[in-house]
Amino acid sequence: MLLPLFIAFTELKRYLADRVALAFSLALPIVMFALMYGAFGGEPSFSATANFVDLDNGPLSRELLDRVGAVEGMDVRLYDSNEADQALGRSRILTAFVIPAGFSRDLESGKPVSISMRRRGHGGGEGQIAAAIVAASAQEIAGGLQTRASAAAALGGGVSMERIEAAVEKLGGGGPPVVVVERGGEESGNVLFGMVAGVLTMFLMFAVTLNAQSMVIERLNGTLERLMTTRLSVNQLFAGKFLAATARAALQALILLSLAVAVMRIAGPIEFIQAVVFSLLFAAAVSSIGLVLAGFARTRDQATWGAVFLTMGMTIFSGAFVPFESGPMEVISRFTLNRPAMDALHSILSGSGGLADQWLQAAILAAVTLVGLAAARALFRTT
Amino acid sequence: MTTDKVFLSASGLSKSFDSVQAVNDISFSIERQEIFGLLGPNGAGKTTTIRMLSTVLEPDAGDVEIGSRSALREAGEVRKIIGVCPQEIALYEELSAIDNLVFFGRMAGLGGKEAKEAARANLELVGLLERGRDAVRKFSGGMKRRVNIVVALMSRPQLLFLDEPTVGIDPQSRNHIFDTVLGLRDEGMTVLYTTHYMEEADRLCDRIGIIDGGSMIALGSPDELKASLDQDGDVTLEEVFLNMTGRSLRD
Ligand SMILES: Nc1ncnc2c1ncn2[C@@H]1O[C@H](COP(=O)(O)OP(=O)(O)OP(=O)(O)O)[C@@H](O)[C@H]1O
Ligand SMILES: [Mg+2]
Repeated sequence: MLLPLFIAFTELKRYLADRVALAFSLALPIVMFALMYGAFGGEPSFSATANFVDLDNGPLSRELLDRVGAVEGMDVRLYDSNEADQALGRSRILTAFVIPAGFSRDLESGKPVSISMRRRGHGGGEGQIAAAIVAASAQEIAGGLQTRASAAAALGGGVSMERIEAAVEKLGGGGPPVVVVERGGEESGNVLFGMVAGVLTMFLMFAVTLNAQSMVIERLNGTLERLMTTRLSVNQLFAGKFLAATARAALQALILLSLAVAVMRIAGPIEFIQAVVFSLLFAAAVSSIGLVLAGFARTRDQATWGAVFLTMGMTIFSGAFVPFESGPMEVISRFTLNRPAMDALHSILSGSGGLADQWLQAAILAAVTLVGLAAARALFRTT
Repeated sequence: MTTDKVFLSASGLSKSFDSVQAVNDISFSIERQEIFGLLGPNGAGKTTTIRMLSTVLEPDAGDVEIGSRSALREAGEVRKIIGVCPQEIALYEELSAIDNLVFFGRMAGLGGKEAKEAARANLELVGLLERGRDAVRKFSGGMKRRVNIVVALMSRPQLLFLDEPTVGIDPQSRNHIFDTVLGLRDEGMTVLYTTHYMEEADRLCDRIGIIDGGSMIALGSPDELKASLDQDGDVTLEEVFLNMTGRSLRD
């Protein structure tokens, strides 16, 4: 009974002694994690520059610039009219907002004013966002003036400016009525959960299906046949190989998840443990698939390409990197092995669901494991 | 030859692969504590015969008895008393020599401590104890061969199959291996040995079977075989071999 365990232990030793296998299964995903973290982690989710030409240069135009500059992630840069045209002409900037002369005076007196937006092409996504922020800030200023005017009218003529300000304060005109508060970059967090789940499942699948290659090599170089001259039964050998692949994948998952959690801080200890436990299920499922592949493959190349195509196909169709929200691709993605694992890991890591909520995904993976094992055992050959 | 001295008896063994009749109705027996040589040109069917005898290949016809157990129907029991050194090097290259030996020792039923001790003793036997912790990948061809041989000894088998064990091994180690095999025989082991080196067979083997094209064409002690060609036995085994199997090249 201990023999399969000893096979698994020895295989782990071989895995850790094999630098190429280690590089592919650990170093490569770690590099990917680092790149992902650089792209999506930590930094504010948004930054843009609003380019202004201030032809007014009055108190309200300056207030507008201040307000826009105060928005998190927004930078304000001033140009004179010619500079702005040149920069636009050379595509150094894609938008410029022109505050017309008399802006402060007209706004003060309640006349309609307009800020024009000069742009190159459609102005770029950044320009569109800047335009919305500029418009909202101008609205706020106009709104504040209007509140003051209403307050002055309600209080009657000859009232001091201080009292008007106090009244406006009371009316709640001191700040914008609705604010959008950014909290801990939830959007970028979501991308990270998805990416971690996608990279983890992809590499586990690749490493473990690539295991089929080492099985074929063992068959060709005679170590499997040699094992069949010992006391080991075929069932024990098969069980040992399955345990070995699963243990290897589980170790890999443990290391990668530890890194993701330690460096990117994407989950707490409870979520981490639950994710590791769930990864074990996925490891078992891919191990059984790897053994099926090993049963079919006659040559080393067949095993390698089988693993590559299986992993590539499953990963792409699962929507690991380009998630499918709906449509036929979304339906197809449900037939990949990565999808249930990614869904469950995403939900566990993001804290939106615990391990117990993943029973459907767990059932799918368990079923795949059992069917895969039955097929692999039928296909298992030692010579 | 069905005395209780017989330890292995093969009767009517046949095996074909697709269109190739690799082994064709071979029968012979090996006595306890005998070193039996199986000789034959390339492709004669030696390895196929050994694979059938050692329970890993099922014959199309015939039966094998080892230690009065059927290798076909009681393979599990037979495996407890045999050790096999395959023709090709069958080792885990990433693992050290010691780890290879311990692993196969455990698979042969040894306990952890036992396996470690046996591994060291066996490496000592082939002069590789000092390199024991190195990965087999870093070994020379001859060193791998020597490890390949002693893996078969880990289970302290009663019957040892050695399929061309000395290919690519230098004369020093080769002589050492001969002495080892003879020593093991003296301790009670039975050995089936294949080789293409006729002087090696002459020196080691008590009896020799020559197979060609899957059939056994001669069987006897080296002296008997020599005498069959020349009354005085004044010929080498190689001359006997070439005379019996012809001088044309084999596949
Ligand atoms: N797995 C196999 N599939 C197909 N043919 C095989 C297989 N194994 C052996 N043969 C064929 O059976 C015949 C006997 O091969 P075998 O390996 O037993 O020869 P051998 O006597 O050991 O030769 P050598 O001295 O070269 O090792 C050869 O013709 C070989 O091509
Ligand atoms: Mg051979």
